[in-house]
Amino acid sequence: MSLLDRKLLRDLRALKSQALAVALVMACGLAMMIMTRSLILSLETTRDTYYERHQFAQVFARLKRAPNAVRNQLAAIPGVATVQTGIAVQVTLDVPGLPEPAVGLLNSLPERGELILNRLHVRAGHLPAGGTARRELAVGEAFAEAHGLKPGATLSAVLNGAKQTFRLAGIVLSPEFVFEAPPGAALPDNKTYGVFWMPYKELATAFQLYGAFNSVSLTLAPGANEREIIGAVDRVLAPYGCRGAYGRINHPSHRRVDDEIRVLQGLSVAFPLVFLSVAAFMTNSVMSRQIALQREQIAMLKACGFSNRQVGGHYFKFSLAIVVAGVGLGALGGIVLGQKLVVMYHLFFRFPQLDFQLDTRVLVAAGAVSALASFGGVAGAVRRAVRLPPAEAMRPEAPASYRPALVERLGVARWFSASFRMALRNIQRRPVRSGLTCLALALATGILIVPNSFRDGVSYVIDFQWDVVQRQTVTLSLVEPEAARTIADFRHLPGVVHAEPFRFVPIELRAGPIVRRLVLQGLPAQGTLSRVIDAEPRQLTLPPRGVIMSAKLADVLQLRPGDEVVAKVLEGREREIAVPLVGLAEDFAGTAAYMELHALNRLLFEGDRISGAHVVVERSRWNEFLAAVKNTPRVAGCVIKDSIREGFRKTTAESIGLIQKIYMLFATVVAFGIVYNSARISLSERARELATLRVLGFSRGEVGAVLVGELVLLTLVALPFGLLIGSGFARGILSAVNTETVRLPLVLTPANYAFAVLVVAVASALSALFAARKLADIDLVSALKALD
Amino acid sequence: MPAVGSISPSPVAPAADREPVFHVRGLARVYGEGLAAVTALAGVDFDLYAAELIVLLGASGSGKSTLLNQLGGLDSPTHGTLLYRGANLAEFDEPALTSFRRDAVGFVFQAYNLIPSLTARENIALITEICRDPMPPEDALHLVGLGERMDHFPAQLSGGEQQRVAIARAIAKRPEVLLCDEPTGALDVHTGITVLEAIEHLNRELGTLTVVITHNAIIADMADRVFTLSDGRIVNVRQNAHRGSVRALAW
Repeated sequence: MSLLDRKLLRDLRALKSQALAVALVMACGLAMMIMTRSLILSLETTRDTYYERHQFAQVFARLKRAPNAVRNQLAAIPGVATVQTGIAVQVTLDVPGLPEPAVGLLNSLPERGELILNRLHVRAGHLPAGGTARRELAVGEAFAEAHGLKPGATLSAVLNGAKQTFRLAGIVLSPEFVFEAPPGAALPDNKTYGVFWMPYKELATAFQLYGAFNSVSLTLAPGANEREIIGAVDRVLAPYGCRGAYGRINHPSHRRVDDEIRVLQGLSVAFPLVFLSVAAFMTNSVMSRQIALQREQIAMLKACGFSNRQVGGHYFKFSLAIVVAGVGLGALGGIVLGQKLVVMYHLFFRFPQLDFQLDTRVLVAAGAVSALASFGGVAGAVRRAVRLPPAEAMRPEAPASYRPALVERLGVARWFSASFRMALRNIQRRPVRSGLTCLALALATGILIVPNSFRDGVSYVIDFQWDVVQRQTVTLSLVEPEAARTIADFRHLPGVVHAEPFRFVPIELRAGPIVRRLVLQGLPAQGTLSRVIDAEPRQLTLPPRGVIMSAKLADVLQLRPGDEVVAKVLEGREREIAVPLVGLAEDFAGTAAYMELHALNRLLFEGDRISGAHVVVERSRWNEFLAAVKNTPRVAGCVIKDSIREGFRKTTAESIGLIQKIYMLFATVVAFGIVYNSARISLSERARELATLRVLGFSRGEVGAVLVGELVLLTLVALPFGLLIGSGFARGILSAVNTETVRLPLVLTPANYAFAVLVVAVASALSALFAARKLADIDLVSALKALD
Repeated sequence: MPAVGSISPSPVAPAADREPVFHVRGLARVYGEGLAAVTALAGVDFDLYAAELIVLLGASGSGKSTLLNQLGGLDSPTHGTLLYRGANLAEFDEPALTSFRRDAVGFVFQAYNLIPSLTARENIALITEICRDPMPPEDALHLVGLGERMDHFPAQLSGGEQQRVAIARAIAKRPEVLLCDEPTGALDVHTGITVLEAIEHLNRELGTLTVVITHNAIIADMADRVFTLSDGRIVNVRQNAHRGSVRALAW
């Protein structure tokens, strides 16, 4: 080891707490970046491999019924590679131990051979054997786990009005149901919704569909145009009640995974970059100070024949050591946290295996960016130092020249104490550095706002979505739409105190090239249970004409109130209508469109019909109510609001909660790092001045006040900016992570602001305390000595 | 007790009837322990009285700075007695030492140690704000002949001017004792004279006990008594019957 390197090690040891503070801030940014980018990589590669190995289809269609021969017509469409037809039907389930009825989606397994597309991954047991009368089912893992079902368990389902008992042969995963939730639901409720597979013959026979199919999946030949093929499939299937084919982009499970990746992308760049720039600034300030302190040493080295390159290299190595520590800690943190988060994704997504994969390219790139940023930060100071002729560098720096601060010239100076003036003039003498310190403090305040705005957004959603918007206890849906008078039957269920009808119709909304499929909800104009609320928030009255939709949906479709949107009804008699958009609703889970119930029925030409009812049930008769619902075959589904809310709390809220905690930790580290570092540098620069004051009779506390005065001033200026910046961050990040499946509102509470201010204030106070302890070590006698 | 009839004048003299400001007996300061121990002061005895001007002479390492630090409450003795107005400085805790420095001691440093971000007047006001019975900063500056340059920053003043500001800062609190560590060490001869004149003038005007460290034996003629230190001991005490004026000393 060269002697210069030995000097480097000893200098580093002397500067260890500051170097560590910088490395930690850098590590936080890197950890965040590595964690999110690696999760993106893990999800993408896992998904792509899974899709490829299990032949996930590219185009999907549902229809009423088509004879098997139509399959050949589909296969003949140019550009279609593989076609798979089958049956998928929704049934009511009776699960042992579950008081309410559950909904099952039964899918058929081919009569001969295995599935060609959307192939299953068997997790436990085996696939139901076809051709036997053993009544076997395979069940999706999420539902099986929610109920603790093992192969061999039994389960009852109502198939076409007849209750049948099945044995679970196996537990499986399907690329079609990575996200196991009913179509249109943004949130999973694995207790009341499950996916199943059974042999084609048994399923088809039960529903009088033998020799026919109602579900199609297909893959495209390389280079085929998806839109054209969707059009061709629609033309072939139109006579058979097809609700319109769609590509992966509209596939609910695929879309949910895609949205999650988009959320991670939103978190992966901007926020970590803030951390990295703060770290670069801190490296710069630490190194500039170090070089200023070693002015004479640099002169000596140069006088003794070291080249500028050697001297410059020495200080670059210094910052390299900090970068290496930061990258090492950051990579470690990113990997550990990534592994923690990847486990959380099992709550949402069912892959055969989801392992954490370190995105090494990002690791290398982030390391290089950090190194460049901190070298850039050091370069100026090094250049200044090596440029000095040795003789000049040997002399102490000339006394800094000061001027009265700007505010003093306004004539208010007489109220300022001398130490306050010192602080003011110090700030003004180095405006760039003061500005950057102020900015760093503002950033520290700002990044503290973001995680808590997540938390507040989640709790707002929990209250808003399930207390303000949805005030029913339960949503009951009918197997088929029925006459409006059916509402009376709902009202007569035991324990029901209030019921309001709804009509749900699957539709496709089209605005220009953008197409979305969703459920159009027909509701009473001024409902009291499931309400339509705007951003105010204020309840909207559904007008007799026109549609109200989620603000996010309007945003995606690029529509504004007053514009017309084309709605294609995907149920019953197919028709296309142009309806005006008359209002925007605020909602946070999924997207929806609303119409007044009668207006919708008029459009459908079906007379007054309803798909179900939102009901309020008395707590005391809850079990009686559920038992009655279970024994009402016309009721296909029963969604209990509280269990959806609980599901949200356990999955989305928990995952956001974990991210919030991680970010909070990082933001706190940065806040402390910045403040501590500023205090240390200020202490180092003013050691002599402070020692003089001590000798002149200032107490330790008074000198401490002089030392932190500047920091306190800068902090006071930084705080309001920080709150502004933080609000901007929160807005930016939330809009980046807001997707069509789940959104968070921007909620900025006084408590959030107060917390950010408090953390920075505590960080300042503790750093001041640290610095004050260092102050005790200042050698008073040294102040008496001449500058040397 | 004064040693009557000693050959060289005792440092404990001269006016036995007056109460000494500092009463020092067997004062020693040892840095480090065991083999690494360095004796900076090896037991000195003296009394210092109000209005005296004392010069400490001695080579570098002779112990004069250590002695000055002991008097100024910057350091505590290892052995011996160090009484200030009858109170034992060695027993003072940190807050007591701070208030001793604040109210009783004025320091003048070789490198001036002005706060660069404060003007001359503000540098003095900084100190007068915290002590009991200060004089107005302007008066202090007039006393050192800098009434015209009050609102200048240190960077706008010459070395001699800066040192005079430092002296004004030291005396503005009306200290009982003024301690000057090589006050002219960083100045050329001519400028040094103006600084010494200021010190002498204040000593006469205000009657402040003044202790000045110097290398320059000629300056010693302006003192009432001159202590010469060597190896941590006072090896010679010279009593000047008449203090020479600074101007005269400088040829």
